[in-house]
Amino acid sequence: MTHVVVALEWFFLLYFVLINLGYISLNLLAIPTLQRKIALRPLENLPPAYSGFEPPVSLLVPAYNEEATIASSVRSLLQLDYPEFEIVVVNDGSRDGTLAALQEAFGLEGFPEAHWRRLPAKPVRAIYHSRRHANLRVVDKENGGKADALNVGINASRYPLFCAMDADSILQRDSLRRVIEPFLDDPSTVASGGTVRIANGCTVSGGNLERVGLPSHPLALLQIVEYLRAFLFGRLGWATINAVLIISGAFGVFRKDAIVEAGGYRADTIGEDMELVVRLHRVLRERGEKYAIHFVPDPICWTEAPESMSVLKSQRIRWQRGLCESLHSNAGLLRRGGGGAAGLLAYPFFMVFECYGPLIEVAGYAFMAAMWILGQISGMAFAAFLGLAFSLGFLLSVSALLLEEMSFHLYPRFSQMGLLVVTAIAENLGYRQLVTIWRLIGLTRWLRGARSTWGTMTRKGSWQR
Amino acid sequence: MASASSSDLALAFALAVTAGALASSLLLLVAIASLRAARRWRDWRLSRREGAWRDALHEAIDDPAAARLPAIGVLEWPAFLTLWNHVQESVRGDASDNLAQLLRRHGLDERVLRLLRRRSTALRLIAITALGHLREERAWAPLQEIAFAPGPVMSFAAARAMLRIDPRRALETLGPSIVARDDWPLARLGTIFQELGPAVVTPALLAMMLGRPRQGLARVMKLARFGHRHRIAPVVRAWLTSNAEPSVIAAALDYVEDAEDLAWAREAARHEDWHVRMAAARALGRVGDRDDLQVLLGLLRDPIWWVRYHAAQAVVRLHGLGEEELEMLHQGMRDAFASDMLAQALAERGRA
Repeated sequence: MTHVVVALEWFFLLYFVLINLGYISLNLLAIPTLQRKIALRPLENLPPAYSGFEPPVSLLVPAYNEEATIASSVRSLLQLDYPEFEIVVVNDGSRDGTLAALQEAFGLEGFPEAHWRRLPAKPVRAIYHSRRHANLRVVDKENGGKADALNVGINASRYPLFCAMDADSILQRDSLRRVIEPFLDDPSTVASGGTVRIANGCTVSGGNLERVGLPSHPLALLQIVEYLRAFLFGRLGWATINAVLIISGAFGVFRKDAIVEAGGYRADTIGEDMELVVRLHRVLRERGEKYAIHFVPDPICWTEAPESMSVLKSQRIRWQRGLCESLHSNAGLLRRGGGGAAGLLAYPFFMVFECYGPLIEVAGYAFMAAMWILGQISGMAFAAFLGLAFSLGFLLSVSALLLEEMSFHLYPRFSQMGLLVVTAIAENLGYRQLVTIWRLIGLTRWLRGARSTWGTMTRKGSWQR
Repeated sequence: MASASSSDLALAFALAVTAGALASSLLLLVAIASLRAARRWRDWRLSRREGAWRDALHEAIDDPAAARLPAIGVLEWPAFLTLWNHVQESVRGDASDNLAQLLRRHGLDERVLRLLRRRSTALRLIAITALGHLREERAWAPLQEIAFAPGPVMSFAAARAMLRIDPRRALETLGPSIVARDDWPLARLGTIFQELGPAVVTPALLAMMLGRPRQGLARVMKLARFGHRHRIAPVVRAWLTSNAEPSVIAAALDYVEDAEDLAWAREAARHEDWHVRMAAARALGRVGDRDDLQVLLGLLRDPIWWVRYHAAQAVVRLHGLGEEELEMLHQGMRDAFASDMLAQALAERGRA
């Protein structure tokens, strides 16, 4: 019995050390990339000049019951600083007045458009063109979910690149220009994503970000530190070795041909954004094609974080199910020999630490607590275990804050950084453990095979003007 | 006994990792605070200077002799030069010369040249950009060395600076690299060619095209839009008669402007590459007449959407086809794809 306890004690300790070592390695990979980015700023910050060779982009905006915000979202998109783009809003059978709001705001009229049905999707009811904006079209279709709406958007789009986004994503005027840059610099680019930041506490006017700030709500603050960790060294680290497995559905640009050849978005999965990227890796590696999936560290997309426990919980459960589905439906990436860094490093890392990790983590906490209660380990040993979990978590959060300080410096006041440091401490005293439990629920629901639906996200938008 | 010692070891291990992580976190916190303090101090210092620099630069745009540039400290130098580059990018002609003169009058051109030898990528990029705006002949040799080095960013910045210093000589020197280096993005090359203007780039483009490079011809063909069309077109159209690559034929078809080349366009409408068929449809739309209707109706049934789209656009623009005739044509169509596409083209024309 004692041998088993000690063995398990070591197992859980080593697991916590290993997962954090993995993240620290990603951090180390991200640092030189960020330093290069900083070194190029003297060129990047010069006024932009366009030659007409910039690839035109179709912005796909799937909308489901977005009556309240859709018009201001589209207006902000129309102001993007990019030479040629079109906006294709896909009304996915909304039950509210989304279509009417668009008709009123942009003077839509029906148009006999012969769109290219390259991807299977639910039927299109009608296509509308705006009388006021030549680059705005609205596709009204039967309800089929976000993935299905994006597939219809791809079918209706006219340009070689498309940008998949959420209807409520908040962009900066230069967001599109920045996320397209990898396509200009590297012809093998098939996808490019950017950093998503939390908009709570910021000032947003007419769908545009005007001032960056920190929220007063503790739940939103905790998510700011979480997002910094996930994007600044998580995705950036993986991008350094061409192993990014997630491009956020809130804002990502893709080469249309590559996506159509890979079969488009899967409508039967809940994590269509991640599933597509993992599948792209698998399909392109199977074909032996040279490709690159880039990640732009610049904060280019802002989104509202949930400030209610129940909404956050359902979001994290959904994300976890999506992650499990995406990984298991593309297991070929691991099985095939030529999986590269994506197949040989990122895929197993995600499978062990992100997919099944919550199970081991929760089991670790429960086991150590039970053993302490049963007197199998000392109070000192239990405290040491908790101390290890806390200190490694804190180290990762602080290293994300350091990367932010080195690079974008979006929260310039000392008081703001102080608040973020306090949040980084608080995050490890219950919040991370709670999120791990929600992720475990997501994992079990995925194992039970629960059905996928559009995620409902209650947005407050109190910072919107 | 063994279990107890193993458990003790686990405890010691956990405590050691915790101590190490907390110590590292503390170090990182000190680093964050130091970085923030340094940045605050620098921002405070620059905020006091920047206003005076801006005033001097704007004064220099009108009269460089009258402008007074305050003393610039060593640490402030990169920030000043970044600002100077920024202002340079938004002015042209005399204003740009006046800004360059301001730097020379204060002997700052020497300092910019010295920056080229620094190791910092950021400083070298600032210097390279500034030397281009200064049109500094003395920088030619080191810039050429950088332009021929591997690595896209620095080499391209150097090439851009050379093109600003002496465009004709730079085009001659860098021509082979412009054709062959696919790590120099076409969109960025395009902005330079646009800036230089057709009089400067046309001879270089012709030389590149007549060289018929094995690689990179498609790039040159795309850049050709920045040259004088009447000089580029004869060279490009000649390629319609040769067994050229599909990308070259498609590009050549965009230069078809008179009925003499119609036979080539009609033949290209049967090409196996859809890009060529699409370019043929566009060419027929520009210069074709009602004799080309059958060819275009064939393209309206093409499996590729873009070919059908451009064929439909060509049909509605075709010389000699009236509104009624087009409507009858549409009504009589049996192919649903062709019919839908023609309906769209008619609607688009109605809106235009």
